[in-house]
Amino acid sequence: MSAFVVILTKDLRLELRSGTSTIAMVALAMLVLVVLVFALGPAVARGPEAAAAALWIALVFAGMLGASRALMAESENGCLRALLISPADRAVLYAAKLAAAAIFMIVALGAGAIFTVLFFNLEFSGALPRMAPILILGVIGFAALATLLSAISGRARGGELLLPLLVVPMFVPALVAGVRASAAALSGAPLGAARDWIAILVAFDVLFVAAGYLLFEHVIGEE
Amino acid sequence: MAAAAVETIALGKSYRLTPVLLEVDLRVDAGRAAVIIGGNGAGKSTLLAILAGLSAPTAGVAMVLRQDSRRLDSAARRRIGMLEHRSFLYPNLTAAENLEFYGALYGVADPRGVALGWLRRVGLANFAGERVRKFSRGMEQRLAAARAMLAAPDLLLLDEPFAALDSDGAAIMADLIRGELARGCAIVASAHGALAIEGVALEQYQISRGRVVPYLEKSGPSRARRLRSLLGRQSQ
Repeated sequence: MSAFVVILTKDLRLELRSGTSTIAMVALAMLVLVVLVFALGPAVARGPEAAAAALWIALVFAGMLGASRALMAESENGCLRALLISPADRAVLYAAKLAAAAIFMIVALGAGAIFTVLFFNLEFSGALPRMAPILILGVIGFAALATLLSAISGRARGGELLLPLLVVPMFVPALVAGVRASAAALSGAPLGAARDWIAILVAFDVLFVAAGYLLFEHVIGEE
Repeated sequence: MAAAAVETIALGKSYRLTPVLLEVDLRVDAGRAAVIIGGNGAGKSTLLAILAGLSAPTAGVAMVLRQDSRRLDSAARRRIGMLEHRSFLYPNLTAAENLEFYGALYGVADPRGVALGWLRRVGLANFAGERVRKFSRGMEQRLAAARAMLAAPDLLLLDEPFAALDSDGAAIMADLIRGELARGCAIVASAHGALAIEGVALEQYQISRGRVVPYLEKSGPSRARRLRSLLGRQSQ
């Protein structure tokens, strides 16, 4: 079994056992959506633009929670040091952590998408399948960025406070593209209509997955 | 001459302007054990972290299994086992799951079988299905020792291996160390005071102001005994 599968399986087993990250992310995503529905009021909280923006804001908040947990779970009993001295390459460790964070986020965002359809009075059958690939692209990009930055912020004093300050501004290009593409999908347009926005999301994912894979070794570990 | 598992040459480590290790020259051959003795903050754990590749020296070089400790490759890391004051165990996994995870990570054939075998060796076979969260500190230390040794390493780095162990646990740890040395594994251990393990020749060193020098057993009455005798004389 490869180190990637071993680490990912362990992370999924731990999450299935405690459920802490995913439950907290689902709860936070729902709370964000409820707050936004009340804040926007019935007139605004109806269109696809408002629904898409609300869902992506929920993605950012829930993602922050999940991403910081992914590496923090390894800090208990010094387990991260054990992974760093193990034969597993650090790039493989990054890939496994990214995959675990993305899986937890996809579960949470799946629930978030259902709440969005319900809270914003959208059409259930068409909205979700059209939005799914866009959300998955957003989740991969966010998880790639946040996993890399949590390794950097984890070394700083008060790193948990630093993480959102680093992640949110850097995620803005993907956020804008994601909201526009999701709004197009929710309004019933085919995916091709949002081709340019989806291309930005793909480019963001490729950039940060590659950056994380190459840089993780240098930002984690050595004292 | 046996191959050196560890060889440091003028090794130094400073945190900003504070030197922790100074010109450390240490050689440990396969099948030999070196004990580094020192008080809290003396630099013992820092030295072990450098040898594990977790920390980079600021001067000199540490050759570990014939590789620079700054650039240990995957094959070399597989041959190193480490026991720290933190156990490296996942509290929400069971004892068996923890060992199975590390066995798989280190490419051990049949991780499940090896994990159960090691649980028997450290006297925790009856707790295989218990989550580590429920373990006492001593049980966790025994399990951590099994974790460090299960991939049959060629170099063991043991940071205070007898910490938190009762007499049974200490006997198990001594047995494990004897077994690893007999197998040809090199050991670098740290301790607060001189270690003695029956049937094992330990090379003892002490860290004094950052320098690693041969350990000299203090002769004559201890400070406590001298103080007691002084107080006794005053009261007479």
